[in-house]
Amino acid sequence: MSYQVSIFLENKLGHLEKVTAVLKAAQINIRSIHLNHTANGWGILNLVVSSPQRAQHVLNENGISAALREIVVVKMADKPGGLDELLKDVVKAGVNFTNAHGISVNQGDSAFLVIEIQDIPDARAKLENVGLEIVADEQVYGRSP
Amino acid sequence: MYWEKEIEILERKSLERLQLERLATTLGQAAKSPHYGRIPVIGRIAQSGMKAIEQIRELPFTSKEDLRNNFPWGMLAADKKDVIRLHSSSGTTGNPTVVYHNRHDLDSWANLMARSMYAAGVRDTDIFQNICGYGLFTGGLGFQYGAEKLGCLSIPAGAGNSLRQIKLMRDFGTSVAHVIPSYLGRLFEVFKDEGLDPRKDTKLHTLVIGAEPHTQEHRLRIEEMFGVKAYNSFGLSEMNGPGVAFECTEQNGLHIWEDAFVVEIIDPVSLQPVADGEVGELVMTTLDRQAMPVIRFRTRDLTRFLPGACPCGRTHRRIERICGRSDDMFIIKGCNVFPMQVEGVLMKLPEVGDDYRILLDTLDEQDEMIVEVEVKKEWFTGDLAFLDRLQRHITRLVRDEVLVRPLIKLVEPGSIPKAEGKAVRVLDRRNK
Repeated sequence: MSYQVSIFLENKLGHLEKVTAVLKAAQINIRSIHLNHTANGWGILNLVVSSPQRAQHVLNENGISAALREIVVVKMADKPGGLDELLKDVVKAGVNFTNAHGISVNQGDSAFLVIEIQDIPDARAKLENVGLEIVADEQVYGRSP
Repeated sequence: MYWEKEIEILERKSLERLQLERLATTLGQAAKSPHYGRIPVIGRIAQSGMKAIEQIRELPFTSKEDLRNNFPWGMLAADKKDVIRLHSSSGTTGNPTVVYHNRHDLDSWANLMARSMYAAGVRDTDIFQNICGYGLFTGGLGFQYGAEKLGCLSIPAGAGNSLRQIKLMRDFGTSVAHVIPSYLGRLFEVFKDEGLDPRKDTKLHTLVIGAEPHTQEHRLRIEEMFGVKAYNSFGLSEMNGPGVAFECTEQNGLHIWEDAFVVEIIDPVSLQPVADGEVGELVMTTLDRQAMPVIRFRTRDLTRFLPGACPCGRTHRRIERICGRSDDMFIIKGCNVFPMQVEGVLMKLPEVGDDYRILLDTLDEQDEMIVEVEVKKEWFTGDLAFLDRLQRHITRLVRDEVLVRPLIKLVEPGSIPKAEGKAVRVLDRRNK
């Protein structure tokens, strides 16, 4: 099972950099970043990182609210229609998601779609049942530099 | 059960007779000070005496401003050579307020302090750690002398340095501590950082908390965190300091020591007494102080008398925990709001941390009440919808309480500046 790290972040100068500084000090690599901002002065930062458990731990130790949320990462072709083909299968699987973001992996070859499934029952099994290939943790997290 | 049984359970009639006697002496003494010497009615009533304690209403009030205007010696009613200590406010705005004590005054204060701690179940077998500033602030020396009078082994730890506080507690088996409530949250964090649980790793059974108004909900949190009984202590430097009113083990209101003070509760606007049991401003007169008697002092603290007798048997009336100050109430969108009302709402929510701040600001030409609220780390799930719901929930609860719709701002834990000493909860940045 893969996880992303979700972080509570006030919209203030330097607060995002505080997070990245903690991760840098812990030698944790960031694979993808996705920032959701609300109209209320705060937002949630979602990160896919090389070691999510350790990232959550060091962030909490530094006074930053961080939680782990389950994701599945599926592969698609990096070409026009790549996402559309992938989503046809997701629809077939009956999985309705609200949070997702994409990462280009090898330009012109492949890309990843990161879907947050924390609150979607049986999402992983449903996606597997329609034959979607779920990317393994090692590939999601990458090798630490 | 009692420190001074005969005084503590004295029947009301005798207590009032004692008050009348002591009031006459107090007025005679007060008239010797330059300030009260200029007020003819004081000398006159000191001569003629009073028939009933209600007659005190014929005397003028004393305000903090009067004390400032009489800086430094104008309130002093005794020969300077008999005065052995003074306590003073910081005086960051204008002249400081100074209170003088002679030997009798300090003995009497220490006795009230010992009586108060005894009522909260503290005994001479206890090891008492006083975690608050010594020096001009009365919480340090006031509790120190009281604990010594009571016979506790006292540890004058002073304020701050949480690691040392914890070490003292563990080295000497501290069973009772006096702490300002806003500091306890920080102390608890340091316990956790050290991998310690105050419930298991200390011998604490009682905390005495005071010097800052706090809610019942805040008290319950403190009791849960430390696994203790927490008792509310009330005092103000103009009336010595701590030891003015104190909770007994019933934890239902604070007995205010009426052999040492005449206690009135007035409407802060009309200045007339409020109906029995209604909230108003506490007004106090010293009855057992020689160097500096103070008559009808307007404390600005808001409270009410609790009706009925206390099961503990003490006849001195109980006041409810202070619910605000007549001078920290603010008006926003036409509504009167006390910060304690907001605190009362927040402290009921498990998701919310102990620190909060109220900002009054003008946004787009309109005055707004912004409440900054910390979401506890343990409650953060990374779920945007959850935080959204929490924010709306708090907004609704605060609005129902104070009748003004607040802007609730969720902030990162630890981002609200921690108070040194008394916490500053309200910041007014409105265009005047």
